[in-house]
Amino acid sequence: MEATDNHLMTKVGAGDVSQLAVLFERHNKALFRFFVYQTRDRELAEDLVQDVFFRMLRYRASYDPRQSFTGWMYQIARNAHIDQATKRRGEVVNFDEFLERRPEPASADLTAEDRLRRSQDVALLKRAMDRLPADKRELLILSRYQGLKYEQIAEILGCEVGTVKVRVFRAVRALGQIFHELAGEKAS
Amino acid sequence: MTCDQIHEVLPDYWAEGMAPAARVALEVHLGECEACRREAESLRALWIGLGLVPAADKLEPSREMRARFYQTLTAYQQGLAEAKPARRGFGEWISEWWPKQPLQQFAAAAAMLVAGLVVGWELRRPAVPESSNEISQLKGEVTQMRQLVALSLLQQQSASERLRGINYAYQVDRSDDEVLNALLRTVSQDSNVNVRLAAVDALRNFATEPAARRGLVEALGKQNSPLVQVAIIDTLVDLKVKQAVPAFRSLEEQPEISPEVKQRAQLAVQRLQ
Repeated sequence: MEATDNHLMTKVGAGDVSQLAVLFERHNKALFRFFVYQTRDRELAEDLVQDVFFRMLRYRASYDPRQSFTGWMYQIARNAHIDQATKRRGEVVNFDEFLERRPEPASADLTAEDRLRRSQDVALLKRAMDRLPADKRELLILSRYQGLKYEQIAEILGCEVGTVKVRVFRAVRALGQIFHELAGEKAS
Repeated sequence: MTCDQIHEVLPDYWAEGMAPAARVALEVHLGECEACRREAESLRALWIGLGLVPAADKLEPSREMRARFYQTLTAYQQGLAEAKPARRGFGEWISEWWPKQPLQQFAAAAAMLVAGLVVGWELRRPAVPESSNEISQLKGEVTQMRQLVALSLLQQQSASERLRGINYAYQVDRSDDEVLNALLRTVSQDSNVNVRLAAVDALRNFATEPAARRGLVEALGKQNSPLVQVAIIDTLVDLKVKQAVPAFRSLEEQPEISPEVKQRAQLAVQRLQ
């Protein structure tokens, strides 16, 4: 049976630091994408991933095995991002480029016009995401893009699960308002 | 269920993490309340739309990120291995010798005070410089610092920083294995051709080390840039590394190697024999 993340991190905490390599292999891509969503900067995202794993080494003794590893990792990731937030540089990822390459789900009942509107909607939604306040955007990145459970997010943010759900609701509602404003601007 | 409670349960509904009973209660409310139904539908469409936005799913970190991580991890492990025995030894030594009784502790403190005063008195006399000893110690520290700087610069993301690291590598002790290994890694793994070329040049400094010669021969097989291949071949010829001959011959046989490089390898074999 594969060792769990918590088990591996406990070993790292006890001095077997080579186990961190397994954790790196499991999580580096998800972390990288988390930072790309947040910073739009590929180079910076890679630096931040390094920083997170280095902090894990430095603070390995502070890891509490009762805590979920993923939660702990994202806590470190958020701190690393906050510490770095003022320094921006490097190649900026153009999401539109990736959007265009993403195949639309093939479904017979979508007319050509529908498909066009849908891809425009997605582009608009992306712009709305960019305008969302950072805390709301982060919440949607964690819940929707990183696929974390509300319980895990509660652990990361240090609040109740119910609070997370209400905040997710408010974030989506705020996103909707921006989205409709942008759609209105475009239509007029 | 009230309209306010809906706010807390909708995120569960979107994430499909809802208990059947709660789901029924939600659907009953949505059936009755037109305003909530409309909002729930429009927000759910946004939630689904969000799933189409990221598109960064296809983004992959570069290979250098992995290489840098493993370099850091190895360096950290080495650091731990060196630091551990000394620290534990000192801790045990102190706990063995430190008196447990308050009276003895007081006596120990008083003895130390007296010892401190005596030492202080002695030091008031003009110091006779034990220069050669101190200077060699200082030199040792400077070399160690250069080594640290070289190693950390070689791990930087920016190519110009890594080039600076290579410049530092010229100033370290030639028998320094860590810097030597870092340079060899750079020759095999660095993404930037200029950095790799500079590292090949810096390795000439380590010419007397068998590990450097072996490493260069190995690195030759891993290169894909003709420029670096030629630089390595020239270096090996200048250093008269005869063991490189089989590697040169194998280059001549590989179809993907450029004709210029093959020619250089052929000349190299002749010159070495």
